[in-house]
Amino acid sequence: MPDTHFYRYDDYDRALVAERVEQFRDQVQRRLAGELTEEQFKPLRLTNGLYLQLHAYMLRIAIPYGTLSTRQLRHLAAIARKYDRGYGHFTTRQNLQLNWIKLEQAPDAIAMLAEVDMHAIQTSGNVIRNVTADHFAGAAADEIEDPRVWCEIIRQWSTLHPEFSFLPRKFKIAITGSPNDRAAVRVHDIGLRLWANEAGEVGFEVIVGGGLGRTPMIGKTLREFLPKDELLAYLEATLRVYNRYGRRDNIYKARIKILVHEIGVEKMRAEVEAEYAATKDGALKLAPETIEAIARQFAPPPLRPKRTKVPEVEALKLENRAFALWLKSNVAPHRVPGHAIVTASLKPAGAPPGDASAAQMEGVADIADAFSQGEVRVSHEQNLVFPHVAVESLPEVYRALERLGFAEANIGKITDIIACPGLDYCALANARSIPVAQRISNHFAELSRQHDIGDLKIKISGCINACGHHHVGHIGILGVDKNGVELYQLSLGGDVDFGRTALGTILGPAVEADKVVEAVDALVATYLEARQAGERFVDTYRRIGAAPFKERVYGAV
Amino acid sequence: MALFRLNPLAPQEPALSIANTDDVLQLGDRLKGVRLIALRFPKFTDGRAYSQARLLRERLGYGGELRATGAVFLDQLPFLLRCGFDSFESDQKGFGPALAKARTLFSVVYQPTGDGRATAGQLRLGRRNSVAA
Amino acid sequence: MAKNLSGELHVASANRLGDGLVVFLDDAGQWTTRLDRAALARDERAAEILLQRAQAEAFGVVDPFLVAVTESEDGTLEPLSLREKIRASGLTFAAIAGEAVRYA
Repeated sequence: MPDTHFYRYDDYDRALVAERVEQFRDQVQRRLAGELTEEQFKPLRLTNGLYLQLHAYMLRIAIPYGTLSTRQLRHLAAIARKYDRGYGHFTTRQNLQLNWIKLEQAPDAIAMLAEVDMHAIQTSGNVIRNVTADHFAGAAADEIEDPRVWCEIIRQWSTLHPEFSFLPRKFKIAITGSPNDRAAVRVHDIGLRLWANEAGEVGFEVIVGGGLGRTPMIGKTLREFLPKDELLAYLEATLRVYNRYGRRDNIYKARIKILVHEIGVEKMRAEVEAEYAATKDGALKLAPETIEAIARQFAPPPLRPKRTKVPEVEALKLENRAFALWLKSNVAPHRVPGHAIVTASLKPAGAPPGDASAAQMEGVADIADAFSQGEVRVSHEQNLVFPHVAVESLPEVYRALERLGFAEANIGKITDIIACPGLDYCALANARSIPVAQRISNHFAELSRQHDIGDLKIKISGCINACGHHHVGHIGILGVDKNGVELYQLSLGGDVDFGRTALGTILGPAVEADKVVEAVDALVATYLEARQAGERFVDTYRRIGAAPFKERVYGAV
Repeated sequence: MALFRLNPLAPQEPALSIANTDDVLQLGDRLKGVRLIALRFPKFTDGRAYSQARLLRERLGYGGELRATGAVFLDQLPFLLRCGFDSFESDQKGFGPALAKARTLFSVVYQPTGDGRATAGQLRLGRRNSVAA
Repeated sequence: MAKNLSGELHVASANRLGDGLVVFLDDAGQWTTRLDRAALARDERAAEILLQRAQAEAFGVVDPFLVAVTESEDGTLEPLSLREKIRASGLTFAAIAGEAVRYA
């Protein structure tokens, strides 16, 4: 088995995770014995990733910075078989959700996770959540520095943080190391962007107060440039200000974005900087050896440059149209010549977005062992990524993915839909998401049409909490309940790309479930007629505005 | 309501009771000679007093008794101890034994706080240096 | 909870503590996974009593509540709201099976 090229637990990490499993086992025992009420137990189970959903308990497993070894992925498949119904759902926050967990077995499932240095710590609750990163980290051609080093540093600092385990509300951090942000850093509680200043030093832009949900907001820059070794001191200062002053009187106003909005970013900055000034040279300052020791573990695999033009690839491109399209949409440039980053689509036509069976997880692990240095990534768009594939292996990887049903050439296209679990699973949802995604996916299944339509991101949420990120979809779809009927509100023009981050605007009255496909079809038709050369759907929308789209949709519906 | 104190010999007067909305950094001279400060948890999910405790201990150098009152449950103990609390009011069953165990529940900590425990990061640095030496 | 009271017929439901499965209170005061065995309250007063009974029997379940249902001529019960229909009868699409390598 290949070595891993990311952080490996040492005995300290392992001890802590094992002790957390035993603490949780004790908490579950006390609940089952009636010593804890549900009200007392709920925050305890949530901070270990265990929800009670419509049909069963759901366990949300953290996949830190979206990076998995094949050993871990196979183990996840085994856990899904043993303690669930043999499948899992990859989420928009680089987590894996198992939907049919029993409370009585949850401690054993979590203990089994710990066998491969994984956990569910802080995947829910009012705590610092799993820190997410660019899913192309360490491989992307445009990367300045690997953000996962910093995710790991934050993972450790935030794990069981004694001061920040009862925050006003959940707290999500994302980090990108590339100018082309693939981690959506402007819509997180804190977004961190690594960049090099004029002196050539690399540091963080610290962005605060972004987020989706009920009150979507784009984050604001709190600090233009933060030296890297001061990251934890600055985060602790920010979290302390939030813990002290964030609202606790109204759950819908408790996120840090509301605090920043209410007091203004200048006042927020002054508060954070004052707190930071008092602590920055303290114990949280990162020693160069500490950073180096972690960075060394993320050292890229030793890939030798290879041929970039491979005859077999060129030949297959000519004879197999689907493969040619797949190369265009699912294969991204790697920093080492002759290598590529491959995205396996968890969105085959008509499938629930982001779901994979245990057998599929094992199939993906086999491919990664053979062709991707034993490493797999989880993207926030609910797909799986092979970060290090030689160009000459692309035909074999494609065929192997075809056998798994994950070779759909649709990354970034209209059927690469993000959808939350919706009312089929979720206790909070008002409407279903997955069946809507399935209908759209089936309707637009034809690949050459998808590629003609081009980049178009559809994001579907089953309620205002926006787990499906509908606010930042080129086409956003929000399910609402009106007198017991599911209706779907359409919005246009959202985007998460850095520098273009925007929230969508509601198009008009919500449409009924069976009219959603027609409505999307009308939006696409409007775009295809109006587009100019090189324009994506969202570019055309920005140029011509909502009116033509509106007319077409509500004329058609 | 039972009181659990880690240091039963500590004299308790004069004492201060502080709401979790108060800014402890404004206490200034009022801290002088104080032997007991009671911080309040109106709900156990309201975590403001953790920040107050750390500021009192680590920023203001408060060395007297620091008591957690209100909704204080045994599952919070590892956090409370790390933030500097050393006495607790709770009527929860099993609180006493849990307090005895709470310090050893986690043999590893990642965050430096005023409790003086060496963090995993510090221990790793020490190991590397001893290997290097 | 109020919106569940909009109909006249009610059953009491909850999720079972140990495994989270959807359960209904039957006439004998036991929790069952079968909606067709659920105790049926036919008016508002009976619904209040049913909810009290459910809360009294809540040791092994989480947060009992009332579900408004309809009754067909042959006595089949069906929840009124979509949410409760889904709770009672499961996913509205076919989930992938553990050994499947393709979604079909």
